[in-house]
Parts: sequence; C-alpha cells; structure tokens
Amino acid sequence: MLEHFEEELENLKTNLIKMASLVDDQVNRVVTALETDNLELCKGVKAKDLEVDAYDNLVQTQCENILALFHPVAVDLRYIMSALMINNQLERCGDIAVNIGQRVKKAGSYKDLIFESQIVEMGRTAKEMLRNSIDSFIHSNSELARKVIDTDEVVDKFNKNIFKFLVSKMQTNPELIEPCAHLIVLIRHMERLADHATNIAEDLIFYTDARIITHQKKLANREKEGD
Amino acid sequence: MEIKISIKNLEAFYGKNRVLKSVSLDIPKNKVVAIIGPSGCGKSTFIRCLNRMHEVVGGSMTGSILLDGEDVTKVDPVLLRKRMGMVFQKPNPFPTMSIFNNVAAGLKLNGLRNNKKLQPIVEKCLKQAALWEEVKNNLDDAGMNLSGGQQQRLCIARALAVDPEVLLMDEPASALDPISTTKIEDLIFELKKNYTIVIVTHNMQQASRVSDYTAFFYVGDLIEYSETRKMFTSPDKQQTEDYIRGRFG
Repeated sequence: MLEHFEEELENLKTNLIKMASLVDDQVNRVVTALETDNLELCKGVKAKDLEVDAYDNLVQTQCENILALFHPVAVDLRYIMSALMINNQLERCGDIAVNIGQRVKKAGSYKDLIFESQIVEMGRTAKEMLRNSIDSFIHSNSELARKVIDTDEVVDKFNKNIFKFLVSKMQTNPELIEPCAHLIVLIRHMERLADHATNIAEDLIFYTDARIITHQKKLANREKEGD
Repeated sequence: MEIKISIKNLEAFYGKNRVLKSVSLDIPKNKVVAIIGPSGCGKSTFIRCLNRMHEVVGGSMTGSILLDGEDVTKVDPVLLRKRMGMVFQKPNPFPTMSIFNNVAAGLKLNGLRNNKKLQPIVEKCLKQAALWEEVKNNLDDAGMNLSGGQQQRLCIARALAVDPEVLLMDEPASALDPISTTKIEDLIFELKKNYTIVIVTHNMQQASRVSDYTAFFYVGDLIEYSETRKMFTSPDKQQTEDYIRGRFG
C-alpha cells in the first residue's frame, strides 16, 4: 500500500515537472523572441499550451484519485494540495506566455522602444522568477522560494516605471500609441507571470513549512490600517 | 476549558512489566479524545486505567487520575464505572436478555425494578443510541438477535442507562461494516454534547473525523497530544507524522 502510494506521488511529481518544463519553454521562447526580435520563436507556443492544458487535467485527476483512494494526511496532504495549486498557476502561466507571444508579434519590431523601456529586463526577471519557483518545487527548496517572493517587488517596480515611460512616449509621440498600447498590455502579462511565480513559491512554502503565507503582506497592512 | 479528567504521571504495569510510562494529560469536558498508536502501545491499558478496569485484569498503576478533581483510587470502583461507562470492541449484549432488559440491566442492579419507571429511561437511552426506531416494536426480542452494528448501539444504550459522565470506547467500530461505523461515529458526535468521550481507535480517519483532541501513544509513551486538526495536518513530532502517514506501526 505504502509503495503504491509512493508510486502515485512520484507519478504526480513527474507530470508536474513535465508540465512545468513545457511552461518554462513557452515563457523562455516569448521572452527571447522579444529580446532578439526572432518572431519564429513564438511559433508553437500556442500548440504547447494545449499540451499544458492536457497536463492540467491529468494532474487534477491524479490529485483527485490520490485524495479519494489514499486519504493522505500531514505533509502528504500538503503535497497534494500544493500540487493542485501549483498546477493551476502553471496552467495560467502557459496562457500568459501565449498572450505575451501575441503582443511580441505586434510590437516586437519597435526595438528602440523596447530597449529604452527596459521591457526585456523585466521579462528576464519574470522568466527567472518562474524558473526559480519551478526549481524550488522540484527540490523542495523553501529558501529559493523565498527569493522568488522577494523578487516580485523588482518586477512590480519595473511595471510601474515602464508604464510611466510608455505613457509619456504616447503623449509625446502619438505615432507610437499603438505599439505602446501593445507593450502596456505585454508588461501587464509579465507582471501577472511574476505573480504566478510568487504564488508557486508560496504554495511550495505551504508544503515544506506547513505555513500559509499567501496574502500575508496585504492582510498585515489591513490590520495596521484597522489599528 | 473545563477539565473532566486530569491524568498525572500515570504508570501502568502487568506484573513488573511497565506498559505506560509517566503519562500526563488533561481530558476536557464534553469533548472527544481519540487515543491512537500501534498495537501494544498502551492505548487500551490507558482507558482501562481511567475507570480502574486495569485492576480487574490483574494490572496495577501509579500516578494520579482525577475525575472532576476527585482521585479515582479513592472512589468505589463500582460507582466509578457507573460514572465512566465502557463500550468494548466486540459488542457484548447480555446473551440471555431481551433488548429492553439489556438496557435496563444496570438500573435493575441499582435497585430500580419497576418496569413502568424503567420504560421511559430505556426509550430515552435507545433514542440517544440511535437504535429506538429500529427496535421499538421488538423490545422483547433477544439482544443477540440484532446485527453487529445494532448490538454495539445496544451496548452504548446500556452504558448510557446508568447516566455516566464519561464514555470510554475501546475500538467500538472496528468489528462493524461501514454503515454501522458511520452510525456509531454520528452517535459519538451527538453524545459529546452531554458526555466526555475517550475513544481508542486503530482507524486514523475515524480519529480525525470524530475527535476534538488526539493522543498518540508509542510503546507506553505519550508522544504527542494536541488538537486533532493540528495532529493530522502538522504534528509537532516526527514520530507522530510517520505514524499517521502510515510510515511505521
């Protein structure tokens, strides 16, 4: 029974890792396409998303089966719960990669604008966050997960500054309104990507440390305001 | 939280063999406490110490057990067992008695013999044990004719008849099918409104479903005692975690 259970857990982990590497590849492609203006890289990102969706269903079914058949408790229960949550985050990251790819196709040729605005740096940081969150999950590394969470502020700062930059560009150069609008949507997607990476890191910490740290800052702020 | 039973440094022996080692824990009033642990860890001995049944099977004990602050060793064992009723693993209705008399037996033993006076008490206890609807037309049938699950509920009704404060249950559902088990578990949930319940179980899911607190015993030691919700999500001790995850025992 125990061996059977371990086998099911191992299968689940393998599928999550396969799914994560697909998403990592999707994100890597679109960010590199933005960096190099090689739009060819965006091809296939949508097709990969279908594979990601199939893994999403598979992982959900596996988790449901494990919960129904083995009634896991303690760390095993947290593992299944975090697997379910991480699965959901990865699926959203796959969708976001598709969306980023679409915007790169539309605005990728505005190299100067992209260079000046530091969107590539933002993309690299978000991509790195996702990769580290996946690594933290694979190696159950809560320290790495905490680094991911800390980096979210960097991406938020990029988001704010780039938004301001693009708005000022639109005001001074009306002919850039269309590419700037695409890039504003694109940075919004990147910011969401970083948020999902943060969520994955938080889910991992729930698994390793048995602590729910999601929304911690917001709730603490609300408490302060209440005081 | 009001403490019903307070146990301090309890040690139990069979001859020179120490089967419980300095166990201390408080059992809150109107709560269900589950005792879990692998075979031979001292679970059954522990609850038998509470109503001094351990002495009946030739054991001895040291330390203190206070029931509402009163030392149980200073209480007449018969009266003590009236206050702390017990339900065993195997349903054990009195074989020659009817359903009615099984429930009424304890009361009759205490001198109440008038059937008219016994009737409402028997009915109340059978209702509390969730058995009344199934047996109300056959109260004169032999208790032994009931199914295993019904017999166990009959034994619970019998234990309730003498108006105990505490119910000690030693694997009360381990010999029952899933439907009867669910009935017993629902019953435990209802009964805790009026009684303090200590239940020994090998079934982890049962412990997590029915109890408010769980105590994990291992080779006579109390390893961990905490709220059931905590015990089954993030226990403090690695040994507990390994046991509830099925890693040993």
